[in-house]
Amino acid sequence: MTCVAGPQTFLPPYLLERIAGSASPRLRESARRTLYEDTHFRARAAVSTLPPGSTVRGRPARYVHDAQQLRTLPGELVRAEGSADSGDPAVDEAYHGLGDTYRLFWEVFQRHSLDDRGMALVATVHYGENYENAFWDGRQMVFGDGDGELFNRFTIAVDVIAHELSHGVIAYEGALVYSHQSGALNESLADVFGSLAKQYRDRQRAAEADWLIGAGLFTDRVKGRALRSMAEPGNAYDDPLLGRDPQPGHMDDFVETQDDHGGVHINSGIPNRAYQLAAVALGGYAWESVGPIWYDTLIDSRLASDCEFVPFAELTLDNAVRRFGSSSRQAEAVREAWRGVGVLP
Amino acid sequence: MSGVSHPPRLTSASVLRLKREGGLAHFPGLARPRRLDCSRFSEAQRAELQRLLELTVESCRGDAEPEGADWRRLQLSVEDDSGREIWQLRAIEEAVPMALLEWWRRAESE
Ligand SMILES: [Zn+2]
Repeated sequence: MTCVAGPQTFLPPYLLERIAGSASPRLRESARRTLYEDTHFRARAAVSTLPPGSTVRGRPARYVHDAQQLRTLPGELVRAEGSADSGDPAVDEAYHGLGDTYRLFWEVFQRHSLDDRGMALVATVHYGENYENAFWDGRQMVFGDGDGELFNRFTIAVDVIAHELSHGVIAYEGALVYSHQSGALNESLADVFGSLAKQYRDRQRAAEADWLIGAGLFTDRVKGRALRSMAEPGNAYDDPLLGRDPQPGHMDDFVETQDDHGGVHINSGIPNRAYQLAAVALGGYAWESVGPIWYDTLIDSRLASDCEFVPFAELTLDNAVRRFGSSSRQAEAVREAWRGVGVLP
Repeated sequence: MSGVSHPPRLTSASVLRLKREGGLAHFPGLARPRRLDCSRFSEAQRAELQRLLELTVESCRGDAEPEGADWRRLQLSVEDDSGREIWQLRAIEEAVPMALLEWWRRAESE
């Protein structure tokens, strides 16, 4: 915990300037960084051109950068495709998480990276100071180290890495508008493929999976298991500082709000639970049962960018029928799952 | 975020509200609005806040809504002595100076 950026400590810049010239090297460095940040933060623009992708189908092209606690992207390249472990957990987790995600999309869906044309997989770790978030900026993934108070580093959970990468796949395919119901579907699909990447890596059956997104991200001080629960939306955490998990698991509890782009990380609980119900009903590996149905739906040209829950549910059902037949148990499980969350009658 | 207007001059009667939203997950506890009562700050601190608001506006100028997902945003508003909102800005966090985020950390939840 540094003196200038911790939640309990705070210093305005005119004091930072004083510290930057003061005795303690650690304080000095931290203050210098914050001052540097604020005079240079206009340089935040992301990578303008991506590095070379992979020309070999079945092989990823990974690039992991270190932002060295600044907020400039992409930062310094510290690990490229084929190089050995760096010994920095965030760098290596990002590298392996990119590989796990690539493998899911390639081995299960025969998709060669995000664009199916071998696009480079670019990540930046150690972004910002005590930064408690991860995001997809339209070209690359960005991971903070967490504040150490509530959050650990954001590369700790492979499903979070796969979630961010899946936003890239979604942008190439459905381009679901990032607000209200279409945004909640965008978020839900990122969770679906995030959870699939973890289950596929660990060879977990639907009945064995924890169905949590971001397990391990919270420090011990937080009363909670993860960011979200696909099996029990609304029950991932209940903590004095974070509040209570706001996700609904049924249309009866749909949240109308202007916050969070119209509740994209809130109402995604409903389609998340539908997917989980179908996966558990079918049993076995989700990447062999319901995963392909959701993937078919994502790449279906009929998926409108402003799609809402009901047409999305109907489209998954149609894809279940196309792939497995109208009287298949897969089609039945998908129909029942959407009924279970109140989206289909 | 184009058409961003200049922040008003902060006086000792001004109240600045900061609301952080978005990110990889929505945490109701962290998304609650926080307030900074200018009456509780020294003139130097108020000048600092003024400078940070202006830096934020400068940084937002000309920016379109970014691509991507899970960005965090900071919503800023200023109220005058009658409690009337006279200015508002919603910025992606990458456009907000670190020092202003530090004010957010320190501000009291409402
Ligand atoms: Zn997301």
